[in-house]
Amino acid sequence: MTPRRAADDRRPLGDRLAAYVLIAPAAVVLVVFRLWPLLLGVDFSFTGDGDQDGTPVGFGNYSELLHDPYFRIALRNVGWLVVLLPVAVAIPGLLATFIFLKVPGHRLYRSVYFFPAVLSPVIVGSIFNLLLSYDGPLNKLLAAVGMAPVDWLGDSKTALFTVVGVHIWATFGMALVVFLAGFATLDPSLLDAARSDGASLVQLIRHVIVPGLSRTIQFVFVTTMIGLLTSMFGLLYVMTSGGPGGSTTLPEYYVWIQQGQMNRPALASAASTVLFLIMLVVGLGQIAILRRSGRED
Amino acid sequence: MRTARLGRWVLALLMTTLALATVYPLLFTANAAMKTRREYILDRFSATTTLRGDNIANAWNSAGMAGYFVNSLIVVGGAVILLLLFGSMAGFALSHLKFRGSRTLFLGCLAGLFIPFQVIMVPLVRTMTAVGLIDTYPGLVVAYVAQFLPFTIYLMTSYYSAIPKDIVDAARLDGNSFYGVYRRIMLPIGLPALLSVGVLDALFCWNDVLIALLMMPSAEHRTLMVGVTALRGQYSSDIPTFASGVIIAAVPVLAVYLVFQRRIADAVTAGSTKG
Repeated sequence: MTPRRAADDRRPLGDRLAAYVLIAPAAVVLVVFRLWPLLLGVDFSFTGDGDQDGTPVGFGNYSELLHDPYFRIALRNVGWLVVLLPVAVAIPGLLATFIFLKVPGHRLYRSVYFFPAVLSPVIVGSIFNLLLSYDGPLNKLLAAVGMAPVDWLGDSKTALFTVVGVHIWATFGMALVVFLAGFATLDPSLLDAARSDGASLVQLIRHVIVPGLSRTIQFVFVTTMIGLLTSMFGLLYVMTSGGPGGSTTLPEYYVWIQQGQMNRPALASAASTVLFLIMLVVGLGQIAILRRSGRED
Repeated sequence: MRTARLGRWVLALLMTTLALATVYPLLFTANAAMKTRREYILDRFSATTTLRGDNIANAWNSAGMAGYFVNSLIVVGGAVILLLLFGSMAGFALSHLKFRGSRTLFLGCLAGLFIPFQVIMVPLVRTMTAVGLIDTYPGLVVAYVAQFLPFTIYLMTSYYSAIPKDIVDAARLDGNSFYGVYRRIMLPIGLPALLSVGVLDALFCWNDVLIALLMMPSAEHRTLMVGVTALRGQYSSDIPTFASGVIIAAVPVLAVYLVFQRRIADAVTAGSTKG
């Protein structure tokens, strides 16, 4: 380290400045429009709204959040997202396994499955509004097999699962591609050995694929959780507006409602800070995983 | 052996069904866009017999999709140019010009990936209002640049890190300043990465609705995605026109996907394998 520092200092001033000049535009944008608002927001969450604008209120906004039934629903729904997370990871994982094992037609599936991932949630949500309407194609399909129609988005018991299902439909191709990249690093001789020993598909997955891909699986868990927490706004905005009865409210949507509709920016900031803390836990998990896998290498 | 082969075909059947379920929703919408209102109400499922442009034209003109389309082009174009410029400059500096604090700055960028927009949106609206950038094109462009810069810098830094130091040193010996090295060596060498990252950044910006809703709220400033959400209320009883608006918004993205499929998938996985 020291020799480099010495070499560094021997460089002409202009050269040493070059690095800072090249990085300045990016640094200015990130500090002014990302880091500063983050600090401002945390600070802001301890002040009041309306008449009390700018006045410190301590933890007032946070205690209001805890007593707001909609925010409690939002937190409960985060719990549901955690419960559904393994499903959202297992679907692309299994499909990637089948593609990797060269199921007939495997070349085609990858590009077909990936394409919804490039569509905006607004487009996906709009399309599914048509498909999930009470007299729409999905209920017609149910009727064809003799099942009763479901009010997919209008029933507070099913709406959240419907929206999460649509989110998974739209994004599983992304995780699938990540899994396939992981498979490319898997040692083929291990697979051949397991196969010539006559291992079944389940045994293959349990004893070869899951241990061999632990790093990829962890990566997909974290990125999928981040997606569920922060990329659902477009779907919620188009499909349910957080309803019916607030049943599909997530923290990110709650922040939007308080900021954009209720004109409660300070309360919204408090909700943002809670969302940030949730994200921080997920992010720290990610770093811990990277550290561990770094040691494995 | 026979059961194993049978199992493979059962799986193939399952995966084909799933592939159909992936494609069907878009086909249904495209089909609806071709029908008249009457046809759609009477039978929404049957395949259209005519390729009719009326609804598309109606959505494009009367529903104002043309204007929204132009708004999106302006904002996405501006944001992608700035992202690539700032991202490649920073990527070059972080990968080849070790300086005091460069490691910290790179980690700061990584941390930036974990700050979701929802967390900073309230104060950002305040800041943008204070500096007079709210509801302007530059305001939305800056918001997009700030949002996707960490990702852009991260990918450009990893790409440039793989380029040998000797190339930079040789160019320096030829009398280039570091700015000259950036312009004459790093920009041309970086083109493949710039293209991949640029396509992905363009998709992110094009598809966004939350940032656009907050930063450019007025009706004449709507981007295409905000326009689609407005269309829903306007044409709730005219599904074929609504479906046409959705198709107009989806077609550019699908075209980009068809052309850049591999690049998009590679850029998505770049983060996962480098870890």
